[in-house]
Amino acid sequence: MKKKVLSLLLSTAMVASLAACGSETAPADTTATETAPADTATEAAPADTAAAEDYTLETLNIVVDGTVTATVESGQKEFEEQWEAAVAEKLGHPVDLVINQLDHSDYAGTVSRLLTTGEPGDGSYPDALIMSATMLRQYQTTGLLWDMADAYANAEFQSRVTLPTVNENMKDSEGHLYGFAPTYGNGCVTYVKQSWLDAVGMKADDIKTFDDYYAMLKAFTENDPDGNGSAGTYGVIAAGFGKLDEAPYINYMPEFWQGAYPSFYQKDGVWVDGFQEQATVDALARLAQGVADGVIDPDTEDAGTKQAREKFFSNDQTTSEGVFTYWAGTWLRTLTTNMEKQEVDNDLGDNRLVQLAPIQEIKDTWGGYLNREAPVWVITDDQDGNSAREQAIFDALLETMLDGDRVQTLWTYGAEDVHWSIHAEEFSTNADDPEKKKDYSYEEGQFHLKQSPNDPNSVWKKNHLDAVLVIAPLTNGYVDNDELVQAGNKFFTENCVDAPAAASCDTLAENNEALVEEKTTLMKQAVAGEITPEEAIAQYQADFGDIAQQILDELNAQ
Amino acid sequence: MAQVKAGSMRVQAKKNKVHVFDIVNYIVFVIIALIVLIPIWKVLVDSFNSVGVYRFMLWPEDFTFNGYLTIFTTVRLYRPFLNSVITTVLGTLLGLILSTLGGYVLTQKDMPGRNALSFFLLFTMIFSGGMIPEYLVMKQLHLVDTMWILVIKHGMNVYNLVLMKNFFEGIPESLFEAAKIDGCSPMGIFFKIVLPLSKAALASIGLMYAVTVWNDYSTVQIYITNPDQVNFQYKLRVMIMDGDTPTTAYKVSQNTLYYAAIVVAILPFMAAYPFLQKYFVQGVNVGAVKE
Amino acid sequence: MSKKQNVTTTSTGAPINQKPLGTRIWNNRGYYLMFLPVLVFVIIIYYWPMLGVRYAFYQYKLKNITWVGLKNFETMFGKKEFWSAFTNTLQISITKLLITTFTSVLVSVFLNEMHNLFAKKSLQTIIYLPHFMSWAVVAAIFQLFLSTSSTGFVNETLKSMGLIAKSIDFLHSKQLWRPIFYIINIWKETGWGTVIFLATLSGINPELYEAADIDGASRLQKIWYVTVPALMNTVIIVLILNLAKVLNLFESVFVLYNNRVFDVSDVISTYVYRQTFLTAIPDYGYTTAVGLFKSIVGCVLVLVCNWASKKIRGRGII
Repeated sequence: MKKKVLSLLLSTAMVASLAACGSETAPADTTATETAPADTATEAAPADTAAAEDYTLETLNIVVDGTVTATVESGQKEFEEQWEAAVAEKLGHPVDLVINQLDHSDYAGTVSRLLTTGEPGDGSYPDALIMSATMLRQYQTTGLLWDMADAYANAEFQSRVTLPTVNENMKDSEGHLYGFAPTYGNGCVTYVKQSWLDAVGMKADDIKTFDDYYAMLKAFTENDPDGNGSAGTYGVIAAGFGKLDEAPYINYMPEFWQGAYPSFYQKDGVWVDGFQEQATVDALARLAQGVADGVIDPDTEDAGTKQAREKFFSNDQTTSEGVFTYWAGTWLRTLTTNMEKQEVDNDLGDNRLVQLAPIQEIKDTWGGYLNREAPVWVITDDQDGNSAREQAIFDALLETMLDGDRVQTLWTYGAEDVHWSIHAEEFSTNADDPEKKKDYSYEEGQFHLKQSPNDPNSVWKKNHLDAVLVIAPLTNGYVDNDELVQAGNKFFTENCVDAPAAASCDTLAENNEALVEEKTTLMKQAVAGEITPEEAIAQYQADFGDIAQQILDELNAQ
Repeated sequence: MAQVKAGSMRVQAKKNKVHVFDIVNYIVFVIIALIVLIPIWKVLVDSFNSVGVYRFMLWPEDFTFNGYLTIFTTVRLYRPFLNSVITTVLGTLLGLILSTLGGYVLTQKDMPGRNALSFFLLFTMIFSGGMIPEYLVMKQLHLVDTMWILVIKHGMNVYNLVLMKNFFEGIPESLFEAAKIDGCSPMGIFFKIVLPLSKAALASIGLMYAVTVWNDYSTVQIYITNPDQVNFQYKLRVMIMDGDTPTTAYKVSQNTLYYAAIVVAILPFMAAYPFLQKYFVQGVNVGAVKE
Repeated sequence: MSKKQNVTTTSTGAPINQKPLGTRIWNNRGYYLMFLPVLVFVIIIYYWPMLGVRYAFYQYKLKNITWVGLKNFETMFGKKEFWSAFTNTLQISITKLLITTFTSVLVSVFLNEMHNLFAKKSLQTIIYLPHFMSWAVVAAIFQLFLSTSSTGFVNETLKSMGLIAKSIDFLHSKQLWRPIFYIINIWKETGWGTVIFLATLSGINPELYEAADIDGASRLQKIWYVTVPALMNTVIIVLILNLAKVLNLFESVFVLYNNRVFDVSDVISTYVYRQTFLTAIPDYGYTTAVGLFKSIVGCVLVLVCNWASKKIRGRGII
């Protein structure tokens, strides 16, 4: 018995001694000093970079999502090297760029993990990172992000900004700017397979109303558009019936949602809860009908964007879909190229997909396809009451990103002589297949995109920034003349309106997850026909009616 | 052994009758074997077949190595594989070192505090801090987002340590006494007597460590977001869940690549398994259950 | 292999050596030194995290950590998602345990009746195989086999046999998810489960069978009256051993579940994981509280099972 007590004492003593050192080390901010060796800190810091004061940024940790397309296997190393070289020249001292590209389907969750458990300066804590507009609204009240309104106002690139409203709209009600958008948001347009339209004897120009659209989906489902003599095809696929965790929520299935907006938005200057509106009930009813009729691919319920698009351009068209609403411009090219790779409709070339003009119901309500709020770059605040570090990050990363020249080219097209080049060269894609072979030839001095580093059969498209969406254009005249991309962008800009601004208040931030989960569950149940749309809304009102009201009160009081 | 003898005796006793029961038994045997083997064989065949087909085939229709070539030439696929190899080797080594040391010390009957130390170890099998506190500690130790977390987390396994101790207790004490009289230090006895006599135990428990580290998926899922640090099990899972086929120079269908990746993920143990089976089984039989 | 687990019993193995404690400690200094690395690792990996359970009484959102007392537990007990995860854990774990134990016993009995040594060894080799595959691999295999795509083995085979007209989305179906989960567990673990039962069967006194022969018992009767009773004790022990671990269900569920079947598949660990790591701005305090609850219930289970084990076979499980 004695020994048992002894061992218990030993255990508790261990725990206690650990507790002691645990509380000692908990607020350890000493790690910051480790990463800043004294010798280099004193040596650099040119006096003329006014805002950088005596802080010298040596390492820049950025966390990015898949929109930085220069991934590890496609030339990220060269991108980093060239970025470091160009930025060192601009700033007068070297900056080590560390890119953490999250290989995770859940970007928002991983970011929260990094920000919760890390400390500025611990080596893995992001100095700057990409956030969606929704994430920005959640984080901008937390004090973790740096207000870059002044830095933005005094930025060198201001003189070249052609779309000032994009970042003006990002500011909160007090004029703080916690996220910086280098491009406008872009949105989704509805693509239809030309071959399927031909097969069922329809024309895209004739699709003017929801009834026309629905008739087309039915034809794609029932009239054997793939010509294999049996069923299996669907009208449309999307990444979710509605993506209720990502504004603007409805953009992957705009024809079904029409004027509905299943979240908080401003209507004639007053905040309302769109999920409780009749429009949402009607939209859910349409979706339920679509699923019941089999015109919506049931994979839609769980598909991620990658899954959805891969099914759409899959080599196996017998279980594919005719309609897919997806991002405009560059993606028109990407989808077409992927269909080519999968040997789908090779006789149609760049006419494989036709862009559908917004149906009348969309025009009558929104006015066009929704241009979402742009994703942003944010800078983390180390909360030391001093902006030296943060300003240095802004100067190294965001100021240079829109320099109109070398660095902006890196962000727009990628690394020189890896992703693009101005040297004379000739190459062919699909060199070993005479039918698909395509030759490219460029003269010395002519800007062009090269073969993709990881896929010699396709031409590189872009890196993080979209040249046609950027708020301050390149000044070096490097333009990619892909007609399909340009046609796609032109079509979208002619047919789009700005999406409603995301709401932000304390109660919403607290309950956002629960709200999204509840609404998603109810939406799925209603669409699957397990409950009626009215019951779904009633259930939502029963569970979250009070909270929704509180959120609206807070929003309208702002 | 006893059971085998008994069995053959009984067979001799009834040699004249071929029982219906025996026939049924053989049929059941074949069915059970097929249930296990068909999925494994299909995975293997499809990994060499250039087009994805649903059917079960005994041999690939259109033979290709491209699935495997893709895995071992694509950095996002072969780096996880290398990470798996490295962590498995180091994790097994660390595990063996700690469990032999711990197991050996705990066999010292006249060492004061032995029971207290035993309890200190065994308490961890009853109560744990849970997922979040563990994560926060690993974060403080700068082990999050590195593959070393796999080595550290699996390097100390109390259950294996106890198994090791059980093995050591089977060594005749007279050997220790003789060594002590010869003036051997604890370390000397450990290296000269204990380890050489425990080769089978080292093999068994080493295999248990290796399997655990190689097969670990959830630790990576929880602790690692950096794609350079993930192991192959995680990569396999992500690839198939996200429908993510890396583009490479080799023309390979998604199906072929997936099945090839599955084969790579199980190959090391499948290849060694027939030769090492007795060590695997030994580990269990020495476990807590057998009286 | 008869080991006395004299971990908590102090009466056995009392040292004959009656030298003063100081001398004994000094004499064993080499052993303490050798134990040091083990101690360091145990403290870091197991004991240090135990301090973190204090966050169960805090709100811990991003960098904001504030004391909230028992509020996290109130929230937890008031959440239907938590109760759903808790009951799912028990239901799935226990059902799985019973089913795989049953199939293991069944296969062991068959194996025991096989007197062709080569066939027996071969089958053992085969059925142990799946145990050494990771859950990630097993999930990958079954996900591909059960998929609704044109290369889905199961669906397309059933279709070609005319048994079904339309592909069944097995893993996304609330009705089918659990049965599929159990089947996959049977496939993976039945074989390995037989190891322990075969060890028991090899210890059956052959005279029992001979006596049964003399009584004129048929093969089935011998199985029923000799083999099965001999196994019962081991079966109970296996059940008790595993009962202590029922709350640990994580990886096998995690790799097979999806948001459409959360209702029937979400278990405590997956719930904690999602709430912590897949939520935009999570409360680590709340999820620590759920984890602590699981640890405590798990602790009680182990102690109960330990007590039961001592009652039945005279020694504990730890």
